[in-house]
Amino acid sequence: MPESDARHLTFKLVYYGPAQSGKTTNLLRLHDLLAPELKGEVMTMETKDDRTLFFDLLPLGFRAPSGLLIKFRLFTVPGQVAHDGTRKAVLSRADGVVFVADADRAQETNNGESFQSLAANCARVGLDFDHLPLVVQFNKCDLPNAVPEAEIRDRWSAAPWPLVFAVALTGQGIELTFEHLLRTVYRNFGQKLELQAKHGLSEDAFVAGALRKAA
Amino acid sequence: MTLGFDREWQLGELLDTSSHEKIGPALSELLGGDFAITDDAGKTFWGQPSPDARREALILELEPIGYLLSRSAPASALMAARNLMLVLLRAQIRFKMASTLHLESVAEDFESLKREHARLSESETRYKTLSTELDARVKKQVGELEERQQMLYEAEKLASVGQLAAGMAHEINNPLGFVRSNLSTFEKYVGKFAEMKNAQGAAAASWQALDLDFILEDSIDLLHDSAKGMERIARIVADLKAFSNVDRASEEYADLNNCLHEAVSMVQTQLPAGINFRFDLLPLPSIVCLPGHINQLFFNVIRNAILAIKDAGRPGEVKISSEADDEGILVRIHDTGVGMTKEQLEHAFEPFYTTRPVGGGVGLGLATARNVIQAHSGRISLDSQPDVGTTVTMYFPTPS
Ligand SMILES: Nc1nc2c(ncn2[C@@H]2O[C@H](COP(=O)(O)OP(=O)(O)OP(=O)(O)O)[C@@H](O)[C@H]2O)c(=O)[nH]1
Ligand SMILES: [Mg+2]
Repeated sequence: MPESDARHLTFKLVYYGPAQSGKTTNLLRLHDLLAPELKGEVMTMETKDDRTLFFDLLPLGFRAPSGLLIKFRLFTVPGQVAHDGTRKAVLSRADGVVFVADADRAQETNNGESFQSLAANCARVGLDFDHLPLVVQFNKCDLPNAVPEAEIRDRWSAAPWPLVFAVALTGQGIELTFEHLLRTVYRNFGQKLELQAKHGLSEDAFVAGALRKAA
Repeated sequence: MTLGFDREWQLGELLDTSSHEKIGPALSELLGGDFAITDDAGKTFWGQPSPDARREALILELEPIGYLLSRSAPASALMAARNLMLVLLRAQIRFKMASTLHLESVAEDFESLKREHARLSESETRYKTLSTELDARVKKQVGELEERQQMLYEAEKLASVGQLAAGMAHEINNPLGFVRSNLSTFEKYVGKFAEMKNAQGAAAASWQALDLDFILEDSIDLLHDSAKGMERIARIVADLKAFSNVDRASEEYADLNNCLHEAVSMVQTQLPAGINFRFDLLPLPSIVCLPGHINQLFFNVIRNAILAIKDAGRPGEVKISSEADDEGILVRIHDTGVGMTKEQLEHAFEPFYTTRPVGGGVGLGLATARNVIQAHSGRISLDSQPDVGTTVTMYFPTPS
């Protein structure tokens, strides 16, 4: 459940996935591409050889017609297997998750294991995986040995989550991924938080507020 | 508000009082004396903010967490001070978040370790019980093997004793035959001598002098006694042969009542005084069995009964009864001997378990008995009370 008081509403959104799949790159691109009313700097905590050791954090925000300040705090987890404790701590209290998979065919096992760990860690930090707003992104689709989109779609056809194919390096699919997540989050919490009824915020306005493009 | 690493940190959490006491005077000096630090809620950390002061917001994420205020300082100087302060605060928040996250993840790792430990100790106990079970099973099997071994040894012993008995019976039968026939011939010859009794003269005088009347009479008695002795030898040999059963070691139809009689005749020759047999044998259907083994079984049980009475040191009775119903045959051998304690009952069927002093018996009696019964798909049970007596009940199923 998002943190809220009379004037603020904060959504914690977590980019989860195997090592080197492009989670940090997603955040950096969003920072470049978006210009919502409020935007902070990407805070990168301690990296080693470009690999996240703790987390990255990108804060975004905008005001609803009611004056409520809606804040999004986007986190990335460290993907390396060794940092599972940190990953769990970062995942705790998440209101939505983007699972960033690596489309590289060589990474299929890592994707699978990481997805399993997401489900298991949700249970351990008290998140209901079955009702968690979740978007699955296949990144690095530009790689020559990337698994073809049709094959991935076929394999995930039974899964209930939105699938996005992305090239985080160029920004392709990055906003779309975030948009899917925003919509799922709105559908999940909007009613309970009376976003429409009390704050005059429709789903489209919610998405538009967060996704306003940089000029 | 949670106290996670990802909480929205307040100015007061990021810089403690002693930090403000170092930063405040330094910035005051640089900004020309008039300077204050407040948080977003208006709480003052340093100096005295005046309402008409210029202020610069301290923004780490999206919203101000505090303000720098000064009336006297030029706008550019205050902004420069704010930037300096932000550098400080960023370093501080990174440190705070990282250390809090570290604590959380250590706690998580510790939780994982505990879970793993719980899982391991659970499987450890599982393996422990498994290994004790295995141990018990191995012991049981070793025990069974030993018992089998013993059975085999017993069977071989039985067979060799049987062979010996049969050989002896054969060897004894020949001399027995001619001694018996010689004895009857001899009796005829003695009859011839008797005719001399009626002679006259010197012969008659000698007859009298030698008391041949008595000798003749006694000779006949002695011959009859010898013949009886021979009869008895012949019967013992026949019993031995029947009992050892080397000539019928395979399965055959037998009446268990006959087997009981054969076993009793074996013990009867050495029956101590004061022990009586009572029979209550109802007609039984013949069953397919190994008569030699059944004889040994009954012999063991009856001998135990006799020993139990002997141990009691008083006269007693061995009652042997049998009956049949649609399902099978029930044989009961009851004695009025010493009986058994609970502990003795528990161990009664164990090979080598004996209550008798060393040399009194190997203690194979009941163990062998049970093996024989089990080979016939039957059951054997004991019912006993100390000083009252023991009943051994044996059950043999009849094929329906
Ligand atoms: N070819 C290709 N490379 C990419 C793409 N996105 C990211 N990368 C590269 O993949 C590497 C890892 O990217 P990161 O964003 O640091 O990955 P991460 O998921 O944050 O990795 P961890 O922090 O270790 O979990 C970098 O060298 C990126 O430049 C992409 O779409 N295509
Ligand atoms: Mg990273």
